[in-house]
Amino acid sequence: MSFVSNATGAFYERSLIQMSDLRDSLERLQTQIATGVRLSRGSEDPAAASRLRTLARTERLSEVQEDNADKLARDLDEAGDEAQGVANLLARARELAIQAANDTTGESGRAAIAEEIALLEEELFDRANAQTLTGEPLFAGTAAGPAFVREADGSVTYNGNSEIPTVPVAPGTELERGVTGAQLFQFDVGGTPTSAFAVLSTLSAALQPGVADPTAAAQAALEGIDAAIDTTTRNQTVLGTRLAWVGVIQDDQLDRSLTVAEQQSDLGDTDLSDAIVRLQQTQVALEASQASFTRVSNLTLFNAL
Amino acid sequence: MPGSLFQIGRSGAAAARASLEVTSQNIANASNPDYARRTLSSRELVGISASGNGVLNGVRIEGITRFDSAIVQQQARQSASELARADTELAALRDTELALEQSSLFEGLVEFEAVLTQLEGNPLEPALRTNALETGRQLASTFQFANSTLATARGQVQASTAISLDEANLQAAELARINQNLANARDGTAGQAALLDARDAALRALSQEVGIETEFDSRGAVTVRLADASGAAGPLLVDGLTSSDITSTTAPDGTVSFAVGGAAVTPARGALAGQAAALDAQADYQIELDAIAAEIIALSNAAQASGADADGNPGQPFFTGTGAADIELALTSGTQLATAPAGSPAGSTNTTNLASFVASIGGDDGPIARTDTLLLGLSSRISAQEVTRTGLAAIAENAQATLLTETGVDLDTEAANLIRLQQAFEANSRVMQVATEIFDTLLGLR
Repeated sequence: MSFVSNATGAFYERSLIQMSDLRDSLERLQTQIATGVRLSRGSEDPAAASRLRTLARTERLSEVQEDNADKLARDLDEAGDEAQGVANLLARARELAIQAANDTTGESGRAAIAEEIALLEEELFDRANAQTLTGEPLFAGTAAGPAFVREADGSVTYNGNSEIPTVPVAPGTELERGVTGAQLFQFDVGGTPTSAFAVLSTLSAALQPGVADPTAAAQAALEGIDAAIDTTTRNQTVLGTRLAWVGVIQDDQLDRSLTVAEQQSDLGDTDLSDAIVRLQQTQVALEASQASFTRVSNLTLFNAL
Repeated sequence: MPGSLFQIGRSGAAAARASLEVTSQNIANASNPDYARRTLSSRELVGISASGNGVLNGVRIEGITRFDSAIVQQQARQSASELARADTELAALRDTELALEQSSLFEGLVEFEAVLTQLEGNPLEPALRTNALETGRQLASTFQFANSTLATARGQVQASTAISLDEANLQAAELARINQNLANARDGTAGQAALLDARDAALRALSQEVGIETEFDSRGAVTVRLADASGAAGPLLVDGLTSSDITSTTAPDGTVSFAVGGAAVTPARGALAGQAAALDAQADYQIELDAIAAEIIALSNAAQASGADADGNPGQPFFTGTGAADIELALTSGTQLATAPAGSPAGSTNTTNLASFVASIGGDDGPIARTDTLLLGLSSRISAQEVTRTGLAAIAENAQATLLTETGVDLDTEAANLIRLQQAFEANSRVMQVATEIFDTLLGLR
């Protein structure tokens, strides 16, 4: 009696394990191809799964930051428009002041100029209280607004604060949303704090009929108007620079989201050509082992009996 | 002596026939994994005559020999037991992974961070505030969902522990009964061989559930000890005709401990060991999940406390609860989100408070990072466990194949035996025919 036997059960068991292994990997490949996803659960590649989670987070935050950047760009654009309007308005006020300073302008002419300057001051007040598309004051800092209020005596005071709200637009980058009303409309003339409103209303008052020496008042107002124009231009530059910065950041965001998508695809997507070739290879192996199993299992002495 | 010749032929034919029966039995059981192949052993029969000379009397059937190898059996059992442990633990951990991944806890936290970041861009927008609030509510229910799926996974493991325990106790009782029958069985009988098959089958089934150490006596009766993870000798499970029950105790955190006859034991192998390890792991994950939920609650409420809401009022707590099971949204309106620092007036667009809240959620050791670490730890553990399992499976397959080679039925050998025994039977009948012819010749003498 032999002590080494080739037990029939062992042969079937081995064949079964080999073929079901091949079937398993076939099905895995098939799932990868059908879903386009390489990892159906984290344990298949823990490091890649964790990386994918981080990338998904980056992607989601980028979406939000892009939204924020869009909104910021709109706000800055609007603030820039308003600042441009203010600059135009002040330029017109300067022309009028020069005209009023001219001795040849008569009293009635000065009265008309005073009227127009008063209107310009009104417009300036409106522009200073401009709102964003979502209804917040553009120039009130972080305060609820309105940015400027007109007191009972007709003077205009700043109602906002000196804090500028910041917006997160990229990982670790927060941009300031604009400039405060104090920065845009308030300045010093000869060491005395004043505002564009005060300069215009003073001028308008000085040009009213019956006020002594309107020409000198108009001359004096020019200094204030020039300071207002300087301040406005400086802030226009600040707004323009921030807008350009947002543009750069938006470009960056686009690049980054492309990189994120690429990495996600590298880590998590099925490499189709690779998967298909492997599928083919495994299929050939399975067919071959099925064929050889059939042949070998037919090789039994009982067929010869 | 024609009578003796006839007797020899008859005994040979009977032995060949009996061997044919054993061979047929082997063939019939070729696919029975609990069957060890048998052969018929026989012996020359020599009678003693009155003159003192030996008289040839043919062949005598001695008994059924069952192929057995205690060492190979032991190896196959032990490796299968190890594999059962790894399989059970792996399956339970996979359930846990599914529970935690499918609850989308990580995505929920990221979404919470994202909507708060969006709110920073436009802090007074009512739609964004409501969105942030609802995402907070969603996050709370995600925590509860993760908690309940984890509890479901734990419940499944506990249920299968109870089943494994019943099965182990059943097999232990069965072994005690087999021990009794073995004591009464006659050596070399088919009945004894069948009992030994049943014994090995029961040992195999038992070692699937729990790791065991075995000792056999001369009759084949088995003494079973539990294998303790510490390596010390475990308590007796089956001793002669008596068997003891394994009992289990479930702790409040869901972990389970085992004892036999009051003596505590930590199973080294088998499904029970895998289930106990999985329950330990699940208890750890539960603690971490609760810790993350508690951190979110603490961070949110601290941020609210240090800020002012849209109406300029001090912020109220964001969530109530202490862990993943009872976390609930406490705020009732988006206005109550304290985006501005404490003391800010109504309608402030200052988002400093919100910004530091968002930073604390997304920080290097914040809840998002912790959740990622939790998931990474779990999936790495499964991945490592899969490698171990592959190794154990190879060992177990090898041991099983060795066992089958040692004790299994080889159909080719049996087919050859069929031919050989058939010829032996025919040859023996020919002997009887010759004896008859000789007798006839003698009778025909005149």
